Amino acid sequence: MANVSESMAGTERVGHDAHAHPEFLQHHFDTPTQQFNASKLGMWVFIATEILMFGGLFCAYAIERGLEPQIFDDAHHFLNKIMGASNTVVLLFSSLTAALAVRSAQVGKRNLTSFYLVVTLLCACAFLVIKYFEYSHKFHLGLLPGHCFGHPGLSAAIQDGQEVGTCLHVNAEAAPVTPEWVKAVDESGHVRLLPPRANMFFGLYFVMTGLHGLHVLIGMSILTWVLVKNIRGKFSPAYFTPVDLGALYWHLVDLVWIYLFPLLYLVGKPE
Amino acid sequence: MAAEHSHAHDYDDGAVHVHIAPSRFYWAIFAGLVLLTVLTVKVSYYDFGSANIIIALVIASMKASLVAAFFMHLRYDKLFNTLILLAAFLFLSLFILLTWDDLGVRAHDHGYAQKLSPETGLGAPGGEPATSATADDVGAAPEGAPKGAGHEEKKE
Repeated sequence: MANVSESMAGTERVGHDAHAHPEFLQHHFDTPTQQFNASKLGMWVFIATEILMFGGLFCAYAIERGLEPQIFDDAHHFLNKIMGASNTVVLLFSSLTAALAVRSAQVGKRNLTSFYLVVTLLCACAFLVIKYFEYSHKFHLGLLPGHCFGHPGLSAAIQDGQEVGTCLHVNAEAAPVTPEWVKAVDESGHVRLLPPRANMFFGLYFVMTGLHGLHVLIGMSILTWVLVKNIRGKFSPAYFTPVDLGALYWHLVDLVWIYLFPLLYLVGKPE
Repeated sequence: MAAEHSHAHDYDDGAVHVHIAPSRFYWAIFAGLVLLTVLTVKVSYYDFGSANIIIALVIASMKASLVAAFFMHLRYDKLFNTLILLAAFLFLSLFILLTWDDLGVRAHDHGYAQKLSPETGLGAPGGEPATSATADDVGAAPEGAPKGAGHEEKKE
């Protein structure tokens, strides 16, 4: 046990019976390694459940796309590839800084860990800002999920004084109970007509990216908590588990987006 | 790592020992991920027919593998953690394949089908064919079932 104490240099210890424990070691674990491995195992099982939760949506995507390839092809032209790719790079960069934050914690560079965590959080904000611009453009055009499709949510398809889209109210008396046709300018500048049933594509788009966005927000909360603990000096090369697990959650957010981006933005016939 | 813990390697001291990769290494992985992102966007401007989605998913999986193996440390982690991740993907593919298979034995009849564009009066993308699909069109509908009534029926 003497060696354990030595290798825990720099962390507080509390006396307990005849043995000296590092403060972070919980009573039901024999060694820090056992505790670390158990935490990691638990995190990976949690990540598996997260993948399966998103899996329901990926399954719905596969089925709907298989049934209506033409609608997916037409509707995906309303997603901006450049904005999607920018968000991908922003998220990949935030994953890099999260990994570097863990590395800094492993070698005991506390300030560097804080720096990388702050950069990660800033990237998360940048991601959400880009997402906000994407969402609001679709709200303008009336590209909304479910029965809202074809009923523009904001200033009736007028942007910068120009009409960018029209919603053709065939069943005007039924509105807004049923989805409507949408005629609008897509991201390559072509006028496109989408049938009411294209609401399915945008339903999947908003639910998949929305659930992902919720994960971004949760990830930001977790990383903020880790940052506060790090500033308070709770971590050391002997104990950095929360930094590691917080970063694992953040990489999961990145992992999901790596699949969402091509499936929503890139797949379909090019113009 | 070696310098900090060299005194403790003659037996298991229970302290956490992990592989620490150099910062440069993480930057290299990031560069690879950005290159793959540029590649997948460039490729999407070419029409390879149904191969487009395969190419996109293969590139996405390469990116996911890089993130999982190095950013998430699976390469240097306990093998069991990798098995958990692979099991998640295995069960996800079972989920999608079995759902897809189930769909093949059901008749399709979208109640909310619309065929014609209100502007041109011509057929529009996503519209149903003139005669709406019945059990016969699906091909795998149960034998002896009345046409269009295959919703609740399952192949025995």
